[in-house]
Amino acid sequence: MAGSIKAPSPPRWLLAELTYACPLQCPYCSNPLDYSNIEEELSTDDWKRVLKQSREMGAVQLGFSGGEPLVRKDLVELVDYSHALGYYTNLITSGYNMDEAKIIELKKAGLDHIQISLQASSQELNDFIAGTESFEHKKVVAKLIKKHGYPMVLCVVLHRQNIHQMKDILEMAIELGADFVELANTQYYGWAHHNRDQLMPTQEQLTSAEAIANEYQVSQKGKMKIYYVVPDYYEGRPKACMNGWGTTFLTIAPDGLALPCHSARLLPNFDCPNVNDYSINDIWNKSKAFNYFRGDDWMKEPCRSCPEKDKDFGGCHCQAFLLTGDASNADPVCDLSPMHHTVTEAIEKASQTVESPLTFRNPKNSKAFKS
Amino acid sequence: MSLITDQVIHLSATYRLQWEEAQQMFVLLYPEGLIELNQSSAEILQHCDGSNKLSDIVQILENKFATTGLENDIASFLNVALENGWINQSA
Repeated sequence: MAGSIKAPSPPRWLLAELTYACPLQCPYCSNPLDYSNIEEELSTDDWKRVLKQSREMGAVQLGFSGGEPLVRKDLVELVDYSHALGYYTNLITSGYNMDEAKIIELKKAGLDHIQISLQASSQELNDFIAGTESFEHKKVVAKLIKKHGYPMVLCVVLHRQNIHQMKDILEMAIELGADFVELANTQYYGWAHHNRDQLMPTQEQLTSAEAIANEYQVSQKGKMKIYYVVPDYYEGRPKACMNGWGTTFLTIAPDGLALPCHSARLLPNFDCPNVNDYSINDIWNKSKAFNYFRGDDWMKEPCRSCPEKDKDFGGCHCQAFLLTGDASNADPVCDLSPMHHTVTEAIEKASQTVESPLTFRNPKNSKAFKS
Repeated sequence: MSLITDQVIHLSATYRLQWEEAQQMFVLLYPEGLIELNQSSAEILQHCDGSNKLSDIVQILENKFATTGLENDIASFLNVALENGWINQSA
């Protein structure tokens, strides 16, 4: 069921998920619930092969992610190799266990940018959500990142338990010298989907938070760029997920699975190819998984005849699967979807949920989810 | 914020201009972002190297393409670039 006839555009973005290991336990993590069953990790040489082949195809933005990429002993070596290939290298990190020596070493290896996450603007809430005492250390690391001349993105994932801190979060970003702030409402995949009832904000919270974000976008213009990522459950139309399936983004999971979207390994019977078996060229151009949602041959109604189908490409297929059981349905976030009630019901259910404990992302909890 | 004509223009520190062989085009790279440039944008940005003012860039490109009357187009692109934070100016 290959979609498009013309040759696909080349990958521009490579997300290298180096490991699922992470010292933090954030309950909104997008990693798979059963990550602890996936123990194999690509070797340094495997990663170098993937980096070289992807670069030759056109990938130029490179994100080192995870899990926590700092856990990998070969991170500096991989940054050095990628820099020599001409990538723009981004490190997406919690900052946990990072010290000044590592920041200097990475700079020397050619690292272009560091995105550091904080979980809240107060120590108590940050350390609760992270499941690890980390707040003061992260702030020290953020200042060291700026001291050594990196552009810095400060990322804070927003949800019901921290979104009221919006103003304090933005003040903290200014204090830390962030160049960009990403205020990303939680997207409900992986652990976040499991904890959805405890994480979903209310409409009132969102309205208030968005007004504060807009106010700071104006007052910080020219100094700090603020990206506010809206929560798609509250939107009437879906996001143009991945800029279109298999058009731009390539994710490689820690075990070498190549994914058109970082959540795609949850799609059943999808046969995502592994870099241990195929070249990046074959994976991108020939594999069933990467061709599956290219073009619009796969579309059902209401997407098929929709005038907006070239704008959002039917939305997110992983979300369609999670909420409707079929990845080729329209993303039910769309209010034209016959399954849109799955979204409104989820919002309703979350609003009535009595506070119950979050399930933290850690190996013990992960073992309870068999793949 | 608009372009000051007697100040030199340079690329902002967080941005990198780079030729991409696979795509046969220049791209502007920044934290977690990528802008694919058309030929005229790329020609202009290549001269935003801290040694040229608007009038210098106009002259260089008019000479290169043996044409005249590029100033308005170049100035309007540079204003967009300034607004987006891709370039800076200094005296």
